[in-house]
Amino acid sequence: MQKAHEHGGGGHDHKAAPTVEEITDFEILEIAVRELAIEHGLFTAEDHRRFTEWAESVGPAAGSRLVAKAWTDPAFKARLLEDGTNACKEVGVDWAEPTGFGTPSDYMNFRVLEDTPTLHHVIVCTLCSCYPRPLLGMSPEWYRSTNYRRRLVRWPREVLAEFGLILPPEVEIRVEDSNQKCRFMVLPARPSGTENWTVEELAAIVTRDCMIGVALPRPGRTADIHPVHKARRPVQSSSQHERAAG
Amino acid sequence: MSENKTTETSRKPDNSPARFKVGDRVRVTDLPNMFYSRTQLYARGVTGTIAACTYQDLIPEHEAFNWDGRIEQFYIVRFRQKDLWEEYPYENDTLQTEFPDRWLDPA
Repeated sequence: MQKAHEHGGGGHDHKAAPTVEEITDFEILEIAVRELAIEHGLFTAEDHRRFTEWAESVGPAAGSRLVAKAWTDPAFKARLLEDGTNACKEVGVDWAEPTGFGTPSDYMNFRVLEDTPTLHHVIVCTLCSCYPRPLLGMSPEWYRSTNYRRRLVRWPREVLAEFGLILPPEVEIRVEDSNQKCRFMVLPARPSGTENWTVEELAAIVTRDCMIGVALPRPGRTADIHPVHKARRPVQSSSQHERAAG
Repeated sequence: MSENKTTETSRKPDNSPARFKVGDRVRVTDLPNMFYSRTQLYARGVTGTIAACTYQDLIPEHEAFNWDGRIEQFYIVRFRQKDLWEEYPYENDTLQTEFPDRWLDPA
């Protein structure tokens, strides 16, 4: 942050502190490749900005609609389980767009994992962070963390408990490690208490976390809020008291 | 890079036949790979069951280096978690992940 110059005697030069103190090799690589591509006329900076804004604006709404439609339309659900990629067109998502051959790292092999009362799926990509972006938008930060990716395959119940989801041992927990070109989404079991709900009401309780498999849909739960574990004995110091009071 | 040919690859990709079907028992082989593979170390040598046939494609170890190669069937294989990890305490839990044909042997 830039400090104002002090005029008059005694002031010394204030250099602006860097906005970013660290940059990763991969961020540098991305900038270099993008600049080269623009120099060589592969696309314009404007193209890149528009595509980035579009990709970042896609959210999980289409996925929620897909699940609600599967819950209310058995014939659609059968089509969805048979050919997930094509069934997405019925909720307005074409995995081939906008390139005609899919978006980078999303490909065109979408599969839905159907939960039952005795089978619960949860999705991870241990190798990187593959995610069904055309249907759910950008993945959450925690999904991309090595913390999640390394631990979910080995200790799924412990990791799910950190999300507040605890299932009895009789329920089979099936981890899907999406390590190739298939992209997956969980089709959760429809919760009780939703009989006669409209498609819109159903879609509202199918949040992103439900479609990854770290949460279950239930009436009244319309947002992904992770449990906050407060410290039992938080550190107390005088400056912390002042900051806490401010 | 297309000069780096072994006897197994060919200049024109051709489909190699799918050796497995849903329900077959398979073991993940521990092939040597240089620099890059999508076959996880935790799965190597482990036996599972074919859960689905997905699509046919180049193996990632070739595609990543822009080599021509066989087009192979890919499969989703399901494992018992108890077979993947020592002292995994829950009987019923499973894990699924995907492999190309050459990474699997009949079990």
